[in-house]
Amino acid sequence: MPTTLCSAKASYKKQAGTLELTDSHLTWTQEGKKVPAVRVPHLEASSLFCSKEGAAQVRLKLGLVNDEAGHNFTFTSPSAVAHVEREAFKQELTNIISRNRSAAPTPLQKPTPLSTPAKTPAPIPSTSRATSVASDSRTPILSGIDAATDFRLRKKVLLSNPELLALHKELVMSGHITESEFWDGREHLLLAEAAAEGQKRGRPGQLVDPRPQTVEGGEVKIVITPQLVHDIFDEFPVVAKAYNDNVPNKLSEAEFWKRYFQSKLFNAHRASIRSSATQHVVKNDPIFDKYLEKDDDELEPRRARNEVSDLFINIGATLEDHVETGNEKDVTMQAGRQRGALPLIRKFNEHSERLLNSALGEVPPAKRRRIDSGIDDDEDAYAQITLDDLRDPEAMSGITLQMQDRERYFEGQLARSASEQAGGEVVDVRAAFAELKHGFRGWETRFSQFRIDKKAGDAALDSMTQNVSARLDIRTRKTDLPPTLFRQLTTCQTAANEFLRQFWTSLYPPPTTTSSGATPSQTAAKAAKMAGYLSKTREKVEALVRAGQLEGVEPERVEVAMKPLLDAVEHALAFYRARSAKTSTLKTA
Amino acid sequence: MKFFIDNLPIIFPYDRIYPEQYAYMCDLKRTLDATGHCVLEMPSGTGKTVSLLSLIVSYQQFYPTKRKLIYCSRTVPEIEKALAELKRLMAYRIKFAETAEQKVKEESFMGLGLTSRKNLCIHPDVSKEKKGKVVDARCRDLTNSAACEKGRADPGSVELCDWHENLGKGEPGSLIPPGIWTLADVLQHGRENKTCPYFTVRRMMPFVDVIIYSFHYLLDPKVAEQVSKELSKDAIVVFDEAHNIDNVCIESLSIDLTRPMLDSAARSVVKLGEKIEEIKKTDAAKLQDEYARLVEGLQESVADASDEDAFMANPVLPDDLLKEAVPGNIRKAEHFVAFLKRFVEYLKTRMRVLHVVAETPLSFLQHLKDITYIERRPLRFCAERLQSMIRTLELNRLDEHSALQKVASFATLVATYEKGFLLILEPFETDNATVPNPIFHFTCLDPSLAIKPVFEHFSSVVITSGTISPLDMYPKMLQFTPVVQETYPMTLTRNAFLPLVITRGSDQVAISSRFEVRNDPAVVRNFGSILIEYSKIVPDGIVAFFPSYLYMESIVAAWNDMGILNEVWKNKLIFVETPDANETSIALENYRRACDNGRGAVLLSVARGKVSEGIDFDHNYGRAVIMFGVPYQYTESRILKARLEYLRDAYRIRESEFLGFDAMRNAAQCVGRVLRGKTDWGLMVFADKRFARADKRAKLPRWINQYITEVASNLSTDMALTLSKLFMRTISQNPNENQTGVSLWTLEDIEKAQAKQKEQALLMEQQQEQEDDMDVDYGDGGIDDDVILGLDV
Repeated sequence: MPTTLCSAKASYKKQAGTLELTDSHLTWTQEGKKVPAVRVPHLEASSLFCSKEGAAQVRLKLGLVNDEAGHNFTFTSPSAVAHVEREAFKQELTNIISRNRSAAPTPLQKPTPLSTPAKTPAPIPSTSRATSVASDSRTPILSGIDAATDFRLRKKVLLSNPELLALHKELVMSGHITESEFWDGREHLLLAEAAAEGQKRGRPGQLVDPRPQTVEGGEVKIVITPQLVHDIFDEFPVVAKAYNDNVPNKLSEAEFWKRYFQSKLFNAHRASIRSSATQHVVKNDPIFDKYLEKDDDELEPRRARNEVSDLFINIGATLEDHVETGNEKDVTMQAGRQRGALPLIRKFNEHSERLLNSALGEVPPAKRRRIDSGIDDDEDAYAQITLDDLRDPEAMSGITLQMQDRERYFEGQLARSASEQAGGEVVDVRAAFAELKHGFRGWETRFSQFRIDKKAGDAALDSMTQNVSARLDIRTRKTDLPPTLFRQLTTCQTAANEFLRQFWTSLYPPPTTTSSGATPSQTAAKAAKMAGYLSKTREKVEALVRAGQLEGVEPERVEVAMKPLLDAVEHALAFYRARSAKTSTLKTA
Repeated sequence: MKFFIDNLPIIFPYDRIYPEQYAYMCDLKRTLDATGHCVLEMPSGTGKTVSLLSLIVSYQQFYPTKRKLIYCSRTVPEIEKALAELKRLMAYRIKFAETAEQKVKEESFMGLGLTSRKNLCIHPDVSKEKKGKVVDARCRDLTNSAACEKGRADPGSVELCDWHENLGKGEPGSLIPPGIWTLADVLQHGRENKTCPYFTVRRMMPFVDVIIYSFHYLLDPKVAEQVSKELSKDAIVVFDEAHNIDNVCIESLSIDLTRPMLDSAARSVVKLGEKIEEIKKTDAAKLQDEYARLVEGLQESVADASDEDAFMANPVLPDDLLKEAVPGNIRKAEHFVAFLKRFVEYLKTRMRVLHVVAETPLSFLQHLKDITYIERRPLRFCAERLQSMIRTLELNRLDEHSALQKVASFATLVATYEKGFLLILEPFETDNATVPNPIFHFTCLDPSLAIKPVFEHFSSVVITSGTISPLDMYPKMLQFTPVVQETYPMTLTRNAFLPLVITRGSDQVAISSRFEVRNDPAVVRNFGSILIEYSKIVPDGIVAFFPSYLYMESIVAAWNDMGILNEVWKNKLIFVETPDANETSIALENYRRACDNGRGAVLLSVARGKVSEGIDFDHNYGRAVIMFGVPYQYTESRILKARLEYLRDAYRIRESEFLGFDAMRNAAQCVGRVLRGKTDWGLMVFADKRFARADKRAKLPRWINQYITEVASNLSTDMALTLSKLFMRTISQNPNENQTGVSLWTLEDIEKAQAKQKEQALLMEQQQEQEDDMDVDYGDGGIDDDVILGLDV
């Protein structure tokens, strides 16, 4: 039994119950039931929302990784108790969520631009905004997977693929073949699933831009969630600094946010060109105005950056390539005349860069500076200029054919061709040509005499018509097999196919088997088993024919439908018999 | 592979060749043989540069005359790419050289690229300077011959540049081992050997087989005089990416003066005066010497200046230089200073006028004479006289005097040219501005002036680009007669790109960047929804171009407020071109990272802006280009108006024709950046209803226009999306059909084509003979001797 961290009475979907937080899951059990109706593993928790303090109902909303809507719980204890309970949950869940986030794929500390104050003042110990699945060290290579994960993966694959599930039910559940046999040769499905699971979700791209909602009475309301707070701190380190400096000594948390959203600082941070227009309406704020920076709207950015050393994309180099000449550009072509848009544009570029760095890590400065221009760089530079399709793909090295007794082969060829040459008479081209020419003489007259027998033409047309009508006939006739029979037919078909697949793989194992470390004797046993199953196919088909008759379907139709399958089975069996006969003779010999 | 065109062996550094590359090389060879000029348009991304270099290097290596190649491109990224391309070609030639001598010959082939001191400096202090002008000035202080002489005679007395000094120890002509050196390589070589990369290149220029630099180094007389004057007549000149060459020509002869510049010039004049007084007391002989030299004539004083000493060349074209002595009234230093002072004061007064003035140089000179008694003749010598004086006074930190140099250049230009120029004084920046910020434009209207010396001096000039349609426009504007003028279609086995014209949004509102409607919310929203929808369906990178910076900046703000960008953020990252070049480069670097990583990004930039020139968006860097609006120039610009008028009067090019041509060449240029090679693919979206008009589309290059179907020329957003999705689904499949033989040629295909060509030539010759029999006077059948020569082989 897992330990319970905290629990409380809470309703979910208007039904009373108990909310519990254990060390692995968040569960909610309806009153009077034993099995929890909601069970959320910690790893899936991605965001948390709480109702306002003092609201009529004490609510908690948990957003999930794959489901932003998440679950809504209402604490049903008396208000005061409910608050305490909720706080307890909030505390724990916030920790869990931030843990989830910080375990993000690249747990790189996001660099705080501008000169960073001595300590990073984030109250939430999370570093990245990435709502990513905590990347467990699971590798998509199956060999290293423990049984539990493997089982989970299989289940997931089966659940997402109804047909495979049906087949699994039919064969494995009924005990015809074992689980491992079933998955043998289907590893790629598991691999794909594992890879899909292992893929991390990146940070969402949107800018942090809390837009106030206007409620009635002209008041403006901004809903602050822990998520939003974290995002703001991440995007604007200066706010985090302000928070660190002022809360809780000078301002309470609520007051801090209230004043922030009314300050010039907030307006400067908002991604809108209009905010500058509202600036004069906004009151001065002695605390926040300290943190206000000048708008970054000069032609040159305020923050000087290193030059891009890659000459292929260095635009500045062109500007400096020669002295400025010519007349000034016209008004529309002077960059940066819309000064209000410049901070916005810079913000876009920086935000994109930050997102990119959070996923890929910073560009190491060493890579920027092109100091060691060795062969690698040349290759790199060439890669950007070469035209790949002009390379001859056939000129690539092929696989040399390994042959036993190669000399003998060629000698044989040589001898044969030599003998042919000796035997073959030399054709006199001139004579042959003359003969041909002679044969052509008078072709026009003969052509005019050429008559086609009427009967033959009619016959040809007839057969074509018949062909067309037959096709049309089939096309118009519906598949009127009764649905139950049809289903039986398909299951029989897929099952037999599976047996065939198993049979052939056991006889001819694929060259690159990853998992099956089966010994030859095992495979032989498997082949024998499969052959046994296969030999029963005929009976099964016959049973189906009979069943069909009961439902009023002509036996021929069922037989025709199953014919290709039976043929394949027959072929396999014949092959197996021949093979086993051979091996037995070998053994006896 | 190796093949022959006529009897010239060509080494092409790939196993296959595109048919258009082959055709391009044939035409190029024809031009070189005829020692004439040509205009060639080759589809973007079909390996124009490599074909060009491959043919010309083969030509150089085969014929003993060793004609030098001067290859000009627009931007540093393009220069660097061309150098890398050349390096790869030479590596291939060395690897596949047939004989030992051949190999030695290939190995001694030399190619270098030249750019400014700012880009090539590795001096720890000087290279940190932000402004190119300052780097130039400081470099001159450390390297000019007077300083060097002093410094060497008495080490420590004058600060010198070690990197430059080390260069002097090397043998001239072998400062750097033979081979091809990209700009990055030269820098690296400089760092390793502690030598100056800039002067390495400058001093090696007479010895190289290929020199690659930007247009300005050949077209701008101020630079060309220093850098390119020693190039021999038989050199092959190539202007690659030459679609904007007329603008470069015009720019190189135009000058702007502002009030702060005049103030700075006035201060410089005062400083010069003080310096003269000082020298008079300490070293009066110096001034005497100069005076004597000037009496004799100016020519020698310029001729003996080395590369390090040259700082300001004459701004006028070589033919217009006066080869006579400086007039007497400005020979004396103090007289010249007074002369300059008067001229600057005059200009300052002119600036006080509060209405727009447009006048010809002649009228300006007349007015000048009436007011100040300054004659035209001394004015023409202004730049040279200033040059001589600065050298005599041994001034340092010339960047501080750059405004005065500009004024002097202005004086010389205005006094030299009567036709093809106009002076425009604009007291206000915009029509509704109230604070005057006067600018005196001296603008060149005729692009043929600056390029004329190039056509006259060099026997073969190749003008080529991916988008240079309509072809006949360039010979008309630049006043030359090409021997070959050709455009090549793009052979494709399947359509690798899909041009679409979106004329209206899904709500059927017509979209256009026409001035009257461009800020209409419906249009802005429809432009935005195009971006949103394409960001949803297109993988990796999308590049969007706007007609101007002003429009882009306002629309980005509007989109943000409308929540459109929020939708885009959901699918892709957003990067925007900014006024700062380095900032934009960083954005570009990050954009590429996002595309490589699969996150995908949108880059918003401006047609004719910094990004649209020289940056490629091939493969995943650009799966779609969206052209928002037609990139027309700002027609209210007075300079443009004057230019249009001039084009109409002088060359009979109608205003609307030129504007349309100019807009479409820029649109095509933006859109053409997405393709590189025939396996690459991309969408080209033209979003403006004016693109639907046949006369507009006719101005697009043929290789784009031929793939715009009737259906795709008038679409709404939703229809365009359907087509785009369909296209992407088909193009993402493996091409089943073999391209070889159709859009890719092997050696056999070339030989087949050549055989066919010969057959046709033979046939034509026979016809010709028959015709000749009938009419003896009828000559010139278009077969040159080479074809007949080739027949015998």
